Amino acid sequence: MIFRLTGLLLAGTLMCSGQDTASDHSAQALVSANSQQSQSPLASLNEEKNATHYKSIFRIEVASQNPDYKTPWNSGRFSGGSGTGFLIGKNRFLTNAHVVSNQKRVIITMRGSSRKHTARVVHVAHDCDLALLEVEDYTPFEDLSYLPIGEVPQLESEVRVIGYPVGGDRISVTRGVVSRIDFRPYSHSRIDSHLVIQIDAAINPGNSGGPVLQDGKVIGVAFQGLRSADNTGYMIPTPVVRRFLQDIEDGRYDHYVDLGVAEFPLHNPAMRAIHNLAPDAPGVLVGAVTAGDACDGVLESGDILTSIDGHQIDSEGNVVIAGERVKMHEIVERKFAGDTVELNFLRQGSPREATITLRAFPPARVYAVKYDQKPRYSIQGGFVFQPLDRNLYASHRLNNPRVRRIFNNYLEENLHETRKDIVILTRVLDDPINAQLNAFAGNAVASVNGVDVIDLNHLHEMLHPETLPEFFEIRFDGIQRPLILQTTELESANKRIAENYSVPSPFYLEK
Amino acid sequence: MKLLLSFLLSSFIGSLSVLADAPQSFIRINSTKQNYNVTQPWEKTAPYKRRALGAVLEGQRVLTTAEVVANATYIEFETLDREQRAIARVLYTDNETNLALLEPVDQASILKGLVPLSLSQPVPLGSEVDIWQVEDTGLPLLTKGTLQSTDIISSFLDGHYFLTYEIKASMQSASSSYSIPVLNEGKLLGLLTSYDSDDQILDVISPEIIDNFLRDTEDGNYIGFPSLGVGAANTSDPHLRAWLKLNNDEGGVYITKLAPDGAAAKAGLQLGDVILSINGNALSRRGYYTSELYRQVYWSHLVRGEGAVNKAIDVSLRRGEETLSYEIKLQRPIDGLVPTDTIGSAPRYLIKGGLVFQELTKSYLQAYGEDWESKVPLNLLDAFAHPEDYEQDTDRIVFLSSVIPTPATVGYEFLNSAIIEKVNGQPIRDIPSLIKAFQKAELDTIHSIELDSAPHKIYLDAKLSDTVDTQLRQRGLPALSRE
Repeated sequence: MIFRLTGLLLAGTLMCSGQDTASDHSAQALVSANSQQSQSPLASLNEEKNATHYKSIFRIEVASQNPDYKTPWNSGRFSGGSGTGFLIGKNRFLTNAHVVSNQKRVIITMRGSSRKHTARVVHVAHDCDLALLEVEDYTPFEDLSYLPIGEVPQLESEVRVIGYPVGGDRISVTRGVVSRIDFRPYSHSRIDSHLVIQIDAAINPGNSGGPVLQDGKVIGVAFQGLRSADNTGYMIPTPVVRRFLQDIEDGRYDHYVDLGVAEFPLHNPAMRAIHNLAPDAPGVLVGAVTAGDACDGVLESGDILTSIDGHQIDSEGNVVIAGERVKMHEIVERKFAGDTVELNFLRQGSPREATITLRAFPPARVYAVKYDQKPRYSIQGGFVFQPLDRNLYASHRLNNPRVRRIFNNYLEENLHETRKDIVILTRVLDDPINAQLNAFAGNAVASVNGVDVIDLNHLHEMLHPETLPEFFEIRFDGIQRPLILQTTELESANKRIAENYSVPSPFYLEK
Repeated sequence: MKLLLSFLLSSFIGSLSVLADAPQSFIRINSTKQNYNVTQPWEKTAPYKRRALGAVLEGQRVLTTAEVVANATYIEFETLDREQRAIARVLYTDNETNLALLEPVDQASILKGLVPLSLSQPVPLGSEVDIWQVEDTGLPLLTKGTLQSTDIISSFLDGHYFLTYEIKASMQSASSSYSIPVLNEGKLLGLLTSYDSDDQILDVISPEIIDNFLRDTEDGNYIGFPSLGVGAANTSDPHLRAWLKLNNDEGGVYITKLAPDGAAAKAGLQLGDVILSINGNALSRRGYYTSELYRQVYWSHLVRGEGAVNKAIDVSLRRGEETLSYEIKLQRPIDGLVPTDTIGSAPRYLIKGGLVFQELTKSYLQAYGEDWESKVPLNLLDAFAHPEDYEQDTDRIVFLSSVIPTPATVGYEFLNSAIIEKVNGQPIRDIPSLIKAFQKAELDTIHSIELDSAPHKIYLDAKLSDTVDTQLRQRGLPALSRE
């Protein structure tokens, strides 16, 4: 009974919002499969049923090629790994994004079989660490059952983690108890936080992407552990999984959206007095509003946000959903670009309301680790220019305080409005043409011949004009002395540099 | 084995032979030091001791390094044999050059019988010098060294570079290891500031700098060393040379920084000028000029070592196509927005209701420990590295250095390192202006504080914070502000 009900609920969610696309079919398939499977009466778990589950859980082997941001012109490092995935619908295999990051070849193997099935990534969501795969030939999988997706489990309830972790070749099962349900960072992208369920069963390498089951239903996807503690594992709970599946219904994964607001708690008595707030009055202070994001032009620093979609906000920025006190940002967590949010707030003491429309905000991704992308760069005269992002920041030692400040305050100081990329001179490939100019490496390019740099493409264009000026005068943030490059011997130098340093292409610009 | 033995023997004999004519011109200096606690500016950290060997000069004066007496709470002289002690006081100290002149508080007999040293003339490269240490027993210990090269080095206060002798010698560690006199033919040549045991190189303050320091003290009105107020880069990069239209036979340094109100800025020098020569000394592309004694010396010595405050230097420079001559009257370096020389001075602060405000200093940042540049808050680091972007609005960077949890600071516990722009509507230029701004709450009973970062404006209950202030004093804070 419970089984069927869940299946219907899931169907309801999927059908409401996925109205116009081809992938509706797979959603239907998922639902029908679930209800078919739930034909069986409320039998307790038995051996046979477990075996059925096991068959729908696979080892995923991935060969990857990881770009090297230190030498962006190179092919990168070839490596590989394995994880777990499971069948949730007709030719729909769910796993973690980090299992298939930077993949060049994905192979799925079934339990008790050596046959390797070539698969491909259909959708990958690095911000919630989920990916959907399909195999080239689904015929051998036709008879397998789909794992149904359940709800958020109760604290202290028992769950099973199934997968192919290190320490053996065959399937592994561990049991644990739900020990915490919390809003926590997802380590894959480094900057995204979503709902996470902590269990006291260890999750080991190879478990990633595997299902966590309770009463025969998937209640989470195993995805990360904790280095500093034993016997803690984390899984992605089903609201996050459902959001991912709903997002891709239109055939494309859009990112999570954000309010673009940093709140400040209203605990201080003077702070409350100045805003005429009674001790139990709701509301949190708006500390900063990100320019260009959803609340830009609606909220201002100093406003007091009192409710979001009808949920009252407390002085720390929390709302109560389904009896749980959670951050107000969780309201937005479940929404998509284009959805609206109702806000109630106080400005100078007078109540106001507004409806904002959530939107994708790419500048915020500067802080996220990037995958599946070839690093962009442009080389001129041995000077290697690359856009600043998390990957670059991690691979180069950028000590200049100005560069660190620019990176840190990129959104807060609205730098993204004028500088789509912060272009860094990351390296100087030593050559007679650039001798003695090494010291400029590690700085952010502000302008070329008096023109402020907008992004890498813009810089590239300026450094490769149809007719070369006599000099390029390149200025950097926080540095008085300009880098001067005489262009007379540039062409021959570029040739020599490409040869000496084995640079197959002097630039890669596509975004 | 035999070889080693004979070596030991000979060196032993060698030492013995010089002991007889060891100069009777040194005295031990014991100094007790105590630094301000930059994170809790109302108090000082635990005291510690430094021991040094001073050089006795004419007129009952003793020369040592500024490092020995910086932040000292107590200084005494002690005879080499440790039989007698006497309290000492600082006559003059200069943290930039790392020199200090002391005298006995009571003109007692502690220096009696000692022979004052006279100052040696500068010596050429390759000269042999005597480095004097004293064993715990009072036996003098001589190490011979050779002047290998000179360099421009900052030995104590960061950013102040002076001519320094680099002496090659293999020294042993002995007591009184801070400030060791170096002699040439019985005359004082310099003071050792550091020893690199791997390279066996000593940094020694040069006789030119010591001479200038002592001359400055003569009239009883110490002025200090001059500065030009420029930062400059070399011009060896051929692209830059072509762009600046410098001739091949020219050298020069390219001005990248001009201290506002510095000597050069006042005289009309501009960013991007190329200094070709100073007082007729042509500068190489890397900024060196030719010296008879030392072959090559960095140009800054012509200003800081050979110049004097209020004395002019002649500068020839290239600006665009023109070659210009300037007579620049040198002056003392101007203390910037973030002072670097806070040695011996108490940090200014204010505590209000538990919010602790300070002025940004380099020593505050350095208190983050080794590798402080990667640990300090980025906004403070940026203000320190680029004061020119902040100077128009303020004289000092006033920031929230910590938040003591009190009833008045509830909710502010994690608000750290924010730079303060206004309090009660009044712009904040330094701690005294902050103290004044807090005297009357703008909003009757509530102070408003504007910050440079989110949430931009916070408030403090005036009455509650006064009560908290009283309690903080009862909890053992000696004072809630220092101007």
